[in-house]
Amino acid sequence: MSSIVRLIWFDLKQELNPPVWIVMEWMVFAVQLGVYGALISRLVTSMSEYLQFYAVGFVIMMTFEIGSHVGRHFVEHAHEGRLPYLLSLPIPRWKLFLSVALQGGVELALLLVVPLSVTLSIIGNLTALSVASAVATLFWLGFGVSGLMLALSFIAFRSADIYTAIVTALSTLIIRFSTVFYPLIFLPSSYAGAATISPLTYGSDLVRLLLGFDPSILVDPRVAAAVLGALAVSTLGLGMFLLQRLVEGVKSG
Amino acid sequence: MFAIETRNLTKLYGKTKALKGLDFTVDEGEIMVLLGPNGSGKTTLLLILATVLKPTSGIAKVMGYDVIRQPTRVRQILGIAFQDARGFWRHKPMEILRFHATVCGVPKSKRETLIEQVMKDLELWDARGKLFMHLSGGQTKRLEVAKLLVQRPRLAIFDEPSSQVDLRGKRIIWDHIRKLRDEGSTVLAATNEVREAEYLADRITILDQGLSVVCDTVQHLKDSITGGDIVELEVEAPDNNNMAEELSRLEGTFRVTALNESQLRAYVSMSEAWVPKMTNLCYQRNIRVLSVRVTEPSLDDVFLHFTGRVLGAPTS
Repeated sequence: MSSIVRLIWFDLKQELNPPVWIVMEWMVFAVQLGVYGALISRLVTSMSEYLQFYAVGFVIMMTFEIGSHVGRHFVEHAHEGRLPYLLSLPIPRWKLFLSVALQGGVELALLLVVPLSVTLSIIGNLTALSVASAVATLFWLGFGVSGLMLALSFIAFRSADIYTAIVTALSTLIIRFSTVFYPLIFLPSSYAGAATISPLTYGSDLVRLLLGFDPSILVDPRVAAAVLGALAVSTLGLGMFLLQRLVEGVKSG
Repeated sequence: MFAIETRNLTKLYGKTKALKGLDFTVDEGEIMVLLGPNGSGKTTLLLILATVLKPTSGIAKVMGYDVIRQPTRVRQILGIAFQDARGFWRHKPMEILRFHATVCGVPKSKRETLIEQVMKDLELWDARGKLFMHLSGGQTKRLEVAKLLVQRPRLAIFDEPSSQVDLRGKRIIWDHIRKLRDEGSTVLAATNEVREAEYLADRITILDQGLSVVCDTVQHLKDSITGGDIVELEVEAPDNNNMAEELSRLEGTFRVTALNESQLRAYVSMSEAWVPKMTNLCYQRNIRVLSVRVTEPSLDDVFLHFTGRVLGAPTS
């Protein structure tokens, strides 16, 4: 187990040196919620406590972006020659991949700890169980997104430009066509149709349900849990399969 | 048991064949140098042995352990210094070496002393506090080599160990690689630099287009070129053409040409055996030898001889 901790710490040190961008993420959240969130919640009259809805949505969006970053980051390692180095160390593969996954989780936790705490304090009236379930859902969503980006990242071996374009377009669509900022029942039918495809719809609505939001404005939690589970398992599985192909057959570094 | 053994090893990248059924062995305790141009399959072979890449077919063993079936055991035995050291941008050399030493099981009691010693030996000590991204190309390369000097694996693999390093730095690296061998490690180094191969190698394997063309000591490889040694003579002979004809009848002579009235050039195999025969003949004919100059073939010539191509030329 010590080699896993060592690997996580070695990688994390790079992320935290210096930790400016973590603080920047927190500041972006503070400004977004304090200025934009506060203003838009006064404009939205059809829904009480829209600021709470918006805050959860923003945390979900951050989870998506961090998950994307972790997935991409791993493939960048391959390009930079760091992955071959890690693969040559006397560590079993499962420990190496577990450390990568856990490092992503720790990174996610570090970046989300302040925004999530602020959001929970805005919502108030929470139980330990509801918070723990919501955090678990966020991690599950983060894993799914990481896996998705990991799988997509293999396009980068053909063209980094195409990869960047695809990921940017996809991120925009996944975030905008979802219930991250607007409840499904308020969306026009065409828009709502697209939102049911976005994994963020299920992530954000499940987290909201666990945090005590009105279930009537959210998607069915059983469907949401199933979609998130399928997303995490399938994309991580695909990512690992492609990674195996990378290890076996693509020269890098 | 061989330190390294491959049998019919192949590796495909899509339709490109990087290795085409390579048979190759390395004895324990020797420095084997893989010499070949870019694209000859050197790095692919090293990455397969390090279990970073999987072969398409064939067998590869390190100290008797199969790289496919026992990859973790293989990784416990070897260490590899990559051709291109990258990806540690915000780490410091000291941190990188400390991490490597810890993961590779260097005892805690020796770790710090060893790291300091190696960093001083490779002239990295002054850069110990710099971030990796601020190191020069030569420093990053030396850092890559330093990992193995700290680790001291049973099998040390170096991929172009001194590329990007200045002449003085090259000599320091080469001496430390030889020291590693003297202390019991087996060394496999890949290079396309003739000087590096000549300085390091106990034996050389010439790789070309994914196949081992020849494997032997540097001297044997040079001697194996028929007429590869050039001996230039200055003699006081009454008839130089007649002398050239007599010399060409000596064993090991490939060709003799008269350059002018007193100078001859002989293309011979193994000049160290040919020159005494030549002096003996001159003594018998009462011919005075004014000067003898021997030029051995270079490894470039050896490569050209065995592959029909110059070393620097790209692989087709």
